Amino acid sequence: MMDGGSTIPGYSVALEWVKNLFSRTIKSSNCVPKHIGFVMDGNRRYARKNEIEIKEGHEAGFSSLSQVLELCYEAGVDTATVFAFSIENFRRTPSEVDHLMRLAREKIRQITQHGEIAEKYGVRIRVIGDVSRLHKSVYDDIVATTELTKSNTRATLNICFPYTSREEMLHSIKDVIAGGKKSGEINEASIERSLYTGDDPPLDLLIRTSGVTRLSDFLLWQVSERGVVIELFDCLWPEFGPMKMAWALLKFAFRKTFSDKENELEDDDGVLENQDDLYIKKTL
Amino acid sequence: MNVIGESVQTRSGRDEIGPVASGRVPPPEASVLRNGLTRSKAHMVQAVTKSVMLDDDQEMIERKLKRLSQEKSLFDRKTSKIQFLMCKVLLMIMYLIYGFYRYFQYEYNRMKLKLLNIMYNPSNTPQLIRQDVNKLKKIPKRLAAILEMKSASYVGGGVKGLMNDGSELVCWTVSAGIKHLILYDYDGVLKNNVQDFRKEIRAKLGKYYGPSNVPKYAIRIPHLNKIYFNDEDDATSNGKNKVAIEVSLLSNRDGRETIVDLTRTMADLCAANELKLSNITMKLVDKELTHLVGPEPDLLLYFGPALDLQGFPPWHIRLTELHWEEDNDDVVYSVFIRGLQKYSACKINVGK
Repeated sequence: MMDGGSTIPGYSVALEWVKNLFSRTIKSSNCVPKHIGFVMDGNRRYARKNEIEIKEGHEAGFSSLSQVLELCYEAGVDTATVFAFSIENFRRTPSEVDHLMRLAREKIRQITQHGEIAEKYGVRIRVIGDVSRLHKSVYDDIVATTELTKSNTRATLNICFPYTSREEMLHSIKDVIAGGKKSGEINEASIERSLYTGDDPPLDLLIRTSGVTRLSDFLLWQVSERGVVIELFDCLWPEFGPMKMAWALLKFAFRKTFSDKENELEDDDGVLENQDDLYIKKTL
Repeated sequence: MNVIGESVQTRSGRDEIGPVASGRVPPPEASVLRNGLTRSKAHMVQAVTKSVMLDDDQEMIERKLKRLSQEKSLFDRKTSKIQFLMCKVLLMIMYLIYGFYRYFQYEYNRMKLKLLNIMYNPSNTPQLIRQDVNKLKKIPKRLAAILEMKSASYVGGGVKGLMNDGSELVCWTVSAGIKHLILYDYDGVLKNNVQDFRKEIRAKLGKYYGPSNVPKYAIRIPHLNKIYFNDEDDATSNGKNKVAIEVSLLSNRDGRETIVDLTRTMADLCAANELKLSNITMKLVDKELTHLVGPEPDLLLYFGPALDLQGFPPWHIRLTELHWEEDNDDVVYSVFIRGLQKYSACKINVGK
């Protein structure tokens, strides 16, 4: 969709304008998800499908991600958590793992650069997961770059690298025990606080692409909470892009507005007939 | 930014902001919906206008107060207010368009579900279910389902309805040849009514297989560490290996809270120096949680309109395939068999 229009003069300006207008509009609904999780699935399949190298597939995935994130932050999303690399991904071929490491390093550096997302939207970037598994040089580099964004407070980007949710829960359990609390003082909140996402607002929305209906060890603790919306898309991640993200935001806001309004209406006037009530509830 | 500001200003000139608050005329889509479609749509429109108007009223008062106190920066404030209002109007238009789309999507989904229910109708015969399942390449070893108790005033609601749904699922699962079934309901209603539920299962299985031919089953409540065999009270009478199905009843209690319990126990052990922190590994935690709750299911069915895991044990959904039908609201066989079909077609490659 971008390719066809990019030759028309002023196209990108118009696109930018539409994007800004849309995000402001969505923002005014006060029903924007505070915390979104992304499983970026399908980069390699995209590469195979379009007969390009796997490397380029990952590149395309990154460009899709940065556009999606811009839209989200513009619309007032507080935290985005993206699944960049699973601990299980170490099983892939060494050359691909190598490439993914290099890509992550490069891209994290890129988004923290002057004028990029981190500065534009005041995003604090964190790398979460079992970072001890990373190569020393990669780790040092990542720490050095993310340190630069530490003082940003408007929004957060969590990059899960390398991450699995079970490892996160295990880490949290150990953390709580190591904290030396008495067993009576340990509760759900203390474990939740010790998760990598402990400081972030609770997860509202999980987005997964490429039509797979599994969580694949991503944010299990957070997603299993009652009321978290799970959106699965059939397209591959590089094809996801801001349009589908906008759709997901609209859907979320619509649903939330009406499920809240519904309760309010019931409170102040009970005139809605039962059948209609039921109908509205079902369509939401 | 400036571009938006200007455009909003030019547009707002056309719209006139004042009357919006009191006597707002809804955009053309609204009137279409109000007149053309069902009344429920009109309610939606009402809800939107209500929400917009509510904000506007407060705004009006605020604006008046501020006008009295400060005349100077009025213009600036006004433009930002106008911008905000424009956004609200735009939002409403977007909601209307989406609502319109959603209405047709809902109708389409309901129609699809109706057709599926006609296509897949087991009518209490295990043989038909067998036939459906025999076509599949692989079936899950462990099946889980999240059930919800509906309000007692509806047909199929209340505790009775929930037990009916649960026992129906047990019958399908037995007929499909799956040996383990996990039934999850948030409040643990099934757990609390386990005696009635046993009777209900027995009655249902009798309907499917004939009263003299009821398959053996065991009901397990992992949290209380209890097992019930068939509907006899003596727990040791039957050999454990002979059952055709084992049903585990879970609730919210088996989710996060069980992980907390485990943490507490391990904290105590660590404090007493019986366990070292370095000995707490993935394997240990997994083993303990499998012991406390049960193994991870291969397929999870949800019978509501949009997937909500409702506190299902988080440790146990790592690679579980999830299945639900959009806008479905009932425990029906078509969802069950389509879930199995989806599972048989899926390929799990961890990490690759």
